[in-house]
Amino acid sequence: MNIQNKIANWTKLDSVGDLLVPAVDRLVTIIQPPKGWVPLELRGLWEYRDLLYLFVWRDLKLRYKQTMVGASWAIIQPFIAMVVLSIFFGKLIKVPSEGIPYPIFAYTALVPWMYFVNALTQSSNSVVGNYTLITRVYFPRLVIPITTVVTGLLDFAIAFAILIGMMLFYGIVPTAAIWTLPFFIMLTIATALGLGLWLAALNVEYRDVRFILPFLTQIWFFITPVAYPSSLVPEPWRAIYSLNPMVGVIEGFRWALLGKAQPPSVVLVISVIAVIGLLIGGLYFFRYKEGTFADVI
Amino acid sequence: MSDLAIRALNLSKRFCIEKRTPRYATREFLEDAMRAPFRRFSFFVRQAIPNKNGQQAKNDKFIWALKDVSFEVKHGEVVGIIGPNGAGKSVLLKILSRVTKPTEGYAEIHGKVGSMLEVGTGFHPELTGKENIYLSGAVLGMKKAEINRKFDEIVAFSEVEQFLDTPVKHYSSGMQGRLAFAVAAHLEPDILFIDEVLAVEDAAFQEKCLGKIKEVLREGRTVLLVSHNMNTIESLCDQAILLSKGKIVFNGDTHEVVSQYLAKNYQ
Repeated sequence: MNIQNKIANWTKLDSVGDLLVPAVDRLVTIIQPPKGWVPLELRGLWEYRDLLYLFVWRDLKLRYKQTMVGASWAIIQPFIAMVVLSIFFGKLIKVPSEGIPYPIFAYTALVPWMYFVNALTQSSNSVVGNYTLITRVYFPRLVIPITTVVTGLLDFAIAFAILIGMMLFYGIVPTAAIWTLPFFIMLTIATALGLGLWLAALNVEYRDVRFILPFLTQIWFFITPVAYPSSLVPEPWRAIYSLNPMVGVIEGFRWALLGKAQPPSVVLVISVIAVIGLLIGGLYFFRYKEGTFADVI
Repeated sequence: MSDLAIRALNLSKRFCIEKRTPRYATREFLEDAMRAPFRRFSFFVRQAIPNKNGQQAKNDKFIWALKDVSFEVKHGEVVGIIGPNGAGKSVLLKILSRVTKPTEGYAEIHGKVGSMLEVGTGFHPELTGKENIYLSGAVLGMKKAEINRKFDEIVAFSEVEQFLDTPVKHYSSGMQGRLAFAVAAHLEPDILFIDEVLAVEDAAFQEKCLGKIKEVLREGRTVLLVSHNMNTIESLCDQAILLSKGKIVFNGDTHEVVSQYLAKNYQ
């Protein structure tokens, strides 16, 4: 089929007359109305890695601008949360902590948990927050939510340094399981990004997301074993309970670093499958919605 | 055989002017979802249940910001796009630069695209001039290495050397405009879309910008330029397209199109 017929098919024209012919070696961009599933175009995303780098760098620069204690916030937040949990759950309610001192039991969970909450919140608001860019210039929109989950890693690293200090203080020597820690960090990132993509895309059209988020993370805190060990959850409920990917993450962190909690099992497999589903679904949903961002925002 | 840069065929863009409230949209969606299982039985029921899915709801009011716009541009051509406010000029550039999608139609673009759709895109007020050069450059599609290479040139062109380490929020709007134009002007795309970027500059800098654009043109770039300034259009463009109410009214030699535009007094 020659180009004339092709174009006549694409459009409603019967004939399109004499056509110019492009040089073959140039990059071709096709612009068409959105329809059906949009491919992820991860290669296009890779092309814009420098933009991702500069966005991350921008957000890091801006994050603690005009604050008094700056990056110390990354320590203060989980630390105070740990103190409060230790007093109320550890001392008053006497929640069991699997033989580990309660403060470090809680803090080990709070480090990934705080990262998760921050990354989720930031990524959900990221597209709306960058509307000036969205309405003016083209770049793969996925760069925006990805930026936020990467930026959060700085806070994570700072809080993690304190965790190492606490391990030294309590004389906890990690076992060989510590080598699995990067996997659990990846799982946390994937969970935050996976859900963040859904919420970021929905937030463009329905600002209800902004109201749902604090509420959601609050409830999520209780269905995640941050303040208590997951062994408190009765066996029949375990499978459903571990559909929450953060269960696998927190259990994994405790196992990898403190070496005392149960090693991950079926629980983790369920969590991983849930995250993969969430992330792939999120990527496609985001791409599907992305075409209307500039019009709806 | 000619060298095609841009081909647009029946590009159309529809906007909702009276927007449904999200709540209404949600209700409709839920209604539709609940009806869906019953729809397959409508054959028996005889009384067809309307399917709103895919169709426009009655309450929506639409406007065609662009309707059946078709044109072709060869490589190395400079095409001006003129027309009264609301004619669809900016929408056209936004569609071609992939910021928004067309409702109907098709377009193909051959070559790397750079766009200057609004001054200071990607600027962040809290960051310094230097930082914003990198940020804005990356947003416009430059690689970091490319910005490194052109950094001095950009700074020299923008005339804001002394203020490079000052947050951009302390810049005057003219200074911001100069810096933004300087970054955008050092893009090296095959095809450049420019939308009314010279509006805020003073006369001297405008002259400099025009000089820069002419330099870009000499390098054989393809340019689509939106402007209300007929002098700019006439001095830069070989061809022009006159848009009105989303449709192409004239497409041809610049002087002819401009005089048509002025004669009809669209302004």
